[in-house]
Amino acid sequence: MRNARILGVGRYLPERVVTNQAMTAFMDTTDEWIQQRTGIRERRFSEGWTGAADMGLEAAQEALAGAGMRAQDMGCLIFATLSPDVDMPASACLLQDRLGVAGMPAFDVRNQCSGFLYGLAVADKFVKTGLYDYALVVGAEVHSTGLDLSTRGREVAVIFGDGAGAVVVGPEPDEHKGILSTHLHADGRFAEKLWLECPASRLRPRLTEDMITGPDARIFPKMEGRYVFRHAVTRFPEVIREALDANGLMPGDISLLIPHQANLRISQMVAMGLELPEEKVFNNIQRYGNTTAASIPIALYEALAEGRISAGDLVCLAAFGAGFTWASALLRW
Amino acid sequence: MRSAILGLGHYLPREVEAAGTRRPIAVEPGGPSALAASAARDALAQAALSAEAVDFIVFATMTPDVTFPGAGCFFQAQLGCGTVGALDVRAQCAGFIFGLVIADRFVRAGTYARIVVAGAEVHSSGLDYSERGAATARLYGDGAGVAIVGHGDGRSGLRGAAIHSDGRQHNRFWCEYPASRQHPLRMTAENFQQARHFITVNVDAVRRFGEESLPAVISEALAAAEVRADQVDRFIIAHLLPEVSEATAGRLGLPPTRVNVPAARHGHLTAAALPVALSEEVAAGSLGQGATVCLAAAGAGYAWGAAVLTL
Repeated sequence: MRNARILGVGRYLPERVVTNQAMTAFMDTTDEWIQQRTGIRERRFSEGWTGAADMGLEAAQEALAGAGMRAQDMGCLIFATLSPDVDMPASACLLQDRLGVAGMPAFDVRNQCSGFLYGLAVADKFVKTGLYDYALVVGAEVHSTGLDLSTRGREVAVIFGDGAGAVVVGPEPDEHKGILSTHLHADGRFAEKLWLECPASRLRPRLTEDMITGPDARIFPKMEGRYVFRHAVTRFPEVIREALDANGLMPGDISLLIPHQANLRISQMVAMGLELPEEKVFNNIQRYGNTTAASIPIALYEALAEGRISAGDLVCLAAFGAGFTWASALLRW
Repeated sequence: MRSAILGLGHYLPREVEAAGTRRPIAVEPGGPSALAASAARDALAQAALSAEAVDFIVFATMTPDVTFPGAGCFFQAQLGCGTVGALDVRAQCAGFIFGLVIADRFVRAGTYARIVVAGAEVHSSGLDYSERGAATARLYGDGAGVAIVGHGDGRSGLRGAAIHSDGRQHNRFWCEYPASRQHPLRMTAENFQQARHFITVNVDAVRRFGEESLPAVISEALAAAEVRADQVDRFIIAHLLPEVSEATAGRLGLPPTRVNVPAARHGHLTAAALPVALSEEVAAGSLGQGATVCLAAAGAGYAWGAAVLTL
């Protein structure tokens, strides 16, 4: 069986920079508080009628150009998001419309912060087993339209930013190169520790005007921060070690770890636990906040642009977030 | 090696009066994950597997329990299968076929061997049963169907499949709000008052698309499987409009006795329609081991697909 590998990477970030100082106009918070807790200095917010698919399009075009390919060369489109353009259908269908490639399968993966790695795992199996030769995997989020930008919502609102990333996955004949393995996990017992409740089909009706405008504000995300932090610092190293074990490798073999950009303090603790020096862990949350499904492809793009990945390097991608879901992928570049 | 269905289960809530017709409706609070957990217990029993033996979950729905995380996470917790991955797939009415194709590739790659593929929907909590929306609301039902996908015995298995999408028509059959693209807030009281959070269907466009895409994708899946139509014991054809499924069978010259139209009995169950109908037939004994089945669905997205498999 052949392997799959990443042939091209792209990313898009909206122009509007929102600093921590700018956030204090909406809510009672401080730059110091946000930086101390999360490492975030600023994030990007999109404007106008910009949806996840609009930003995904920009990232996809850059990834396709990087791979030297056209959209019509793809066998399928996989779109990871938790902030779709519309409630239904999938953002993948809207991206497909903009790319002008009607006919190929296009679907969404809804796995929150692990969404990009879940999507990459599916693309990997599609290419490995020969169902398709090429797959486009996009992670894109417009968080800014779903945040409670008031003092009531500050714990969550200061963390998230908008952005998009994309990769083109294609065949790799050498079984020791490309995507070596993928590892996917979930634990739904903690689904309500980091979640956005409404609309909720389990409620009857699933959406009321009170859920939108009432004091409960059930259309905004909620998080038990300390709880999420505790699980993240356990699951991240665990799933990274699982990937290493599956390939007979050790933490010291990792050339670059690209963790989902959840919180700089989490990334630092994970690096410490694995005894990885600072230069072997990529972080850019300082500039973009947490862009959920988009964070790993955005970080991968920047790591490549900065020359931090060379041929033969062992790159580890890892994620943890809402669900809880967590995941890793090991790549020989 | 290709994958096979090792067990099936389904759960339909009690039928109640809704918009002038009878439909299975989940009147108790609980999302698609709860319906799917019931269906999964039967499917696991049929496959003689425990929940702990499951190594992956693929969950197809367009009506998740909450906005996030995905319904697969809630399902996983209720079923009690440790920390196995739970992939949430959105391909609307074709979600179960997309899920089957994904599961098949994880099995072929050797990644997983006992995957729960669930299709489940609770439409009723998001439908407009007032006079304004009744014509659409009456078309839908709630339900869940589950297949356990693993290694077959060589004769059984997924023999061929085809999946497609065409996003150019995404606004002919959609639910627009909440819409993350609306700045600064994706859902407002005004959007709500204007009833923008309900499904709207251009029935003529959706009918035309179904009548074109379903016969074509069934023929494509049969060709991929190298199976002739007369070798298929049952065609289960899922579409919002039962008459589109019937017209598809007519166009392909299929005898009515070998055609199952799920929407004619339960209303449209979208991602749940195919596994529910297949599980019902196996439970009733009208399909048994060795039977060859063609599953087909077309709907919002647009997304459509067909799969030919031997039980």
